[in-house]
Amino acid sequence: MNGEAILPYLIIIPLFGAFSMPIVSLAGRKAREAWAVIISGATLALGSALFYYVWESGKIVLYTLGAKSPLGQGVNFPIRIVWEVDTFGALMVLMVTFVSFMAVIYSLGYMKHDTGLDKYYTLIIILELGMLGIAITGDLFNFYVFLEIMSIASYALVAFRNDTWEGIEAGIKYMFVGSIASSLILLGIALLYGQYGTLTMGYLALKLSQNPTVVGKVALALFIAGLLFKSGASPVHMWLADAHPAAPSSISAMLSGLVIKIGGIYALTRILFSIYGTSISTKTVGWVIIVFACITLIVGNAMAVIQTDMKRLLAYSSVGQIGYILLGIGIGLTAYGSQTGEIALAGAIYHTFNHALMKALLFLIAGVVIHQLGTRNLNELSGLAKTMPKTTFAFLIGAAAIIGMPPLNGFASKWLIYESSAIFNPLLGAIAIIGTAFCTAAYVRVLYTFFGRPSEKVMKAKDPEGTMLWPILILTIAIIVMGLFPWQISDKIMIPAVKTLENQLAYVSTLLGGA
Amino acid sequence: MFGYWDALYFVLVFIVGLILAYLLDLWARKRGMGTRETGDGTKIFISGEDPEKVIPGFEHLEGYYTGKNVMWGLTYALKRFFTVLKADHTGLLTDYVSYLVIVTAFVMGVLLIWG
Repeated sequence: MNGEAILPYLIIIPLFGAFSMPIVSLAGRKAREAWAVIISGATLALGSALFYYVWESGKIVLYTLGAKSPLGQGVNFPIRIVWEVDTFGALMVLMVTFVSFMAVIYSLGYMKHDTGLDKYYTLIIILELGMLGIAITGDLFNFYVFLEIMSIASYALVAFRNDTWEGIEAGIKYMFVGSIASSLILLGIALLYGQYGTLTMGYLALKLSQNPTVVGKVALALFIAGLLFKSGASPVHMWLADAHPAAPSSISAMLSGLVIKIGGIYALTRILFSIYGTSISTKTVGWVIIVFACITLIVGNAMAVIQTDMKRLLAYSSVGQIGYILLGIGIGLTAYGSQTGEIALAGAIYHTFNHALMKALLFLIAGVVIHQLGTRNLNELSGLAKTMPKTTFAFLIGAAAIIGMPPLNGFASKWLIYESSAIFNPLLGAIAIIGTAFCTAAYVRVLYTFFGRPSEKVMKAKDPEGTMLWPILILTIAIIVMGLFPWQISDKIMIPAVKTLENQLAYVSTLLGGA
Repeated sequence: MFGYWDALYFVLVFIVGLILAYLLDLWARKRGMGTRETGDGTKIFISGEDPEKVIPGFEHLEGYYTGKNVMWGLTYALKRFFTVLKADHTGLLTDYVSYLVIVTAFVMGVLLIWG
């Protein structure tokens, strides 16, 4: 099966699955759960096949909606909506489908005492659909549509448990301020369309390089601000610390693991590298990103240290990790074309993937703890290791990986970022290390609590049932295995992903040569 | 080699680290504040929290390591920094929007001047 044949089904299957969910739900609970697993499993199979195809062939896959060629009849420029997937996009597809599948399996046990699950599973699949759309699209307005699909599903899922004030408050805040960020992005798209008369990313890249204008710069500023917000960069990260802990843990895993990556980091990288590329001052834009990265990794990790709410701690930790990813992107842009830039960008992409696994794991564990003990207050969780050994072991692995402890996967990606940032500018390397010191302090507190003397409360707890435990174990194994082959993964997947991302010409020529 | 690392070296370093930690623990037991062979006197000072101490009103937490004071030294040393950070996280929607507007203005200003 070639990539072009797979691409439409990556959208059709979750779309069909989501909208048929209420009908399937009429057949009962088991049917609904089986349907959710089948749909997300089939999407994972397609996502893996697409990644394998793109990675092995090294090609950029192009799919035109409603026609064979993106070019209009009698004209030599693209007028149709296209989906364009390179190695970076395919890697994101794999990440989204894998973590979403884990979250769906986990939900079978975790959400079993909740009601309204037909809506829940519909929304979770729509959330996945929105993220997949963002990862594959080559059209700017199409990107916006998928971004909104993803965002609206997120708002609804954050406020899914409407019996508590926390979810409602967080959902409303997230929706309100998220909509403003989305409108900034829409305004940027409108400006570019008004100036250049096209929405196709590849063709826009061509137009921008031929005629860079002030309008293009204003649009870029709007994109950067909106997408920094969506990725949870400091100082526009505060919604994240409200929204991610308030959501059900399976959703927190998707929000922290995927949504901020796809809707923020991936979109920002795609716009910066594939649309703007060298038509702007990469140095200036790179330094803007670096400044926000440094603030983010210090503030996020430092705020994690002083949290007593386990999920809030994890949410702030996500902010901190986004700082590292942004640092890699910023250096990749500033040192565009050099080996340092390449390694930094490879580290950023690698850490994006790693962090999706690590944070999904940690949030799923937080969910297990809440499920068993009904609390996420760290001061009440002393001695959890005694009664929940498997869960605690998985947490230990996840925490060690996110701190960047060898030989786990987090170390490999952080190492690339440390190394390139230290070579680029030693001060940046030092800031990154300070961020890690805070990150370590935050997780040591949790581990110290878990391995402390058992309190009466935790004595009743036990490791969760299979549907909740298996996703945790699979993610733990993935983290350990990826840590054992860091250099191979970096060489075979991350560096090629960077090379295709930096090759703007290939992105444009695939579009125009698709005639 | 750029970006090179080998998992096995780090496993080795980790094992050495564990041995060092064990030796440090042995040394602390010998040289600690305690003046006795058994009982409270042998306790090693890890943090501001004494797991054995019963605080009036907090009897239910008696004898548990809660981890809340493990990073006491760090949080105390950076008290001012954390106070500023906490004060900044108001939870108010208007503040969230203000920060978004400030960030947009900053990025736009920089790009228009130097971009």
